[in-house]
Amino acid sequence: MEVVFESALNLLGFVVGLVLGIFSYIGFRNTGSPTLFRLNIAFFSIGIGFGVVGFGDLMELWVFKYTTVDTWIQTLGIGIQTVGYFFIAFSHGIKSFFPKSRYFKSIAAPLFILPGNSIEHIIRSISFILLVYGTIETIMSYMESRKRSALFVATGLGLLALGEFLGWYSIVFPKSILYFVSVSTKIVGLGALFVPISQVPMRGGMKIGGNI
Amino acid sequence: MAVTYRTHMSIIGDILTTTRDESPDETGASVTYLIRKANVSYGRLSKILETLVSQGLLEQSSSDRACKYRISDRGREFLQAYRGFREFADSFGLRI
Repeated sequence: MEVVFESALNLLGFVVGLVLGIFSYIGFRNTGSPTLFRLNIAFFSIGIGFGVVGFGDLMELWVFKYTTVDTWIQTLGIGIQTVGYFFIAFSHGIKSFFPKSRYFKSIAAPLFILPGNSIEHIIRSISFILLVYGTIETIMSYMESRKRSALFVATGLGLLALGEFLGWYSIVFPKSILYFVSVSTKIVGLGALFVPISQVPMRGGMKIGGNI
Repeated sequence: MAVTYRTHMSIIGDILTTTRDESPDETGASVTYLIRKANVSYGRLSKILETLVSQGLLEQSSSDRACKYRISDRGREFLQAYRGFREFADSFGLRI
């Protein structure tokens, strides 16, 4: 039963990610902006990553009648999500170079080293770092623009980072409720990313394309 | 303080905004006026204007003295969509 709840949350993440991806794609089609293209890839990847975990778990339980869920599905899904987080962080990396501070390195390095015995641990660590980076950049952007929607995006990315951290922790304590909390936190985080969309007037018919 | 350059898309936004909100008269804005208001070099502006006219976002009217540019209905729609998506990207701390 617990797996069904988790799958439902993952499928919700799949839908939210796809909606955000579609919105970014419409923006890319309208303006030809490379930034919106990167966001489009990011959100599609995040959505597909959630979908792989959600559908994979349900397939194994209901179609193949496995008693336990394979971990490789989880790893694959999280890996695909990490590609999405990379594109969000990469978009920021273009406008400001990666910090070279030794303090940053001292914080980031252990996150790579500690969970070095599992691919999933490594992927979650990378996701966490990318999301924290994206959160910090968005907060800095908020400090400049004072736009409330930027604060929602920073909160969303921060919650996604927290979700990844809890997910990493749930590997350490596999029987706990942490994984459920992790997925829920990530869904709330994705939901917060919806706020900027609600402020955009949606009008159909505009297809200028990338010629501009 | 880091210098932030305008993207190609934001220059287009500035040109369209100028032709919509700051045209000196009904016939539209001249190239000289756009250079000054949108802060773009002549070479770059010429290429952009050519593209915008071919895409139907600007209407070009030629008189004896000079070419003038006026925003079209399609240009107004584009500008509205552009502003919406710019807000969206701004929320992520990004520029389109």
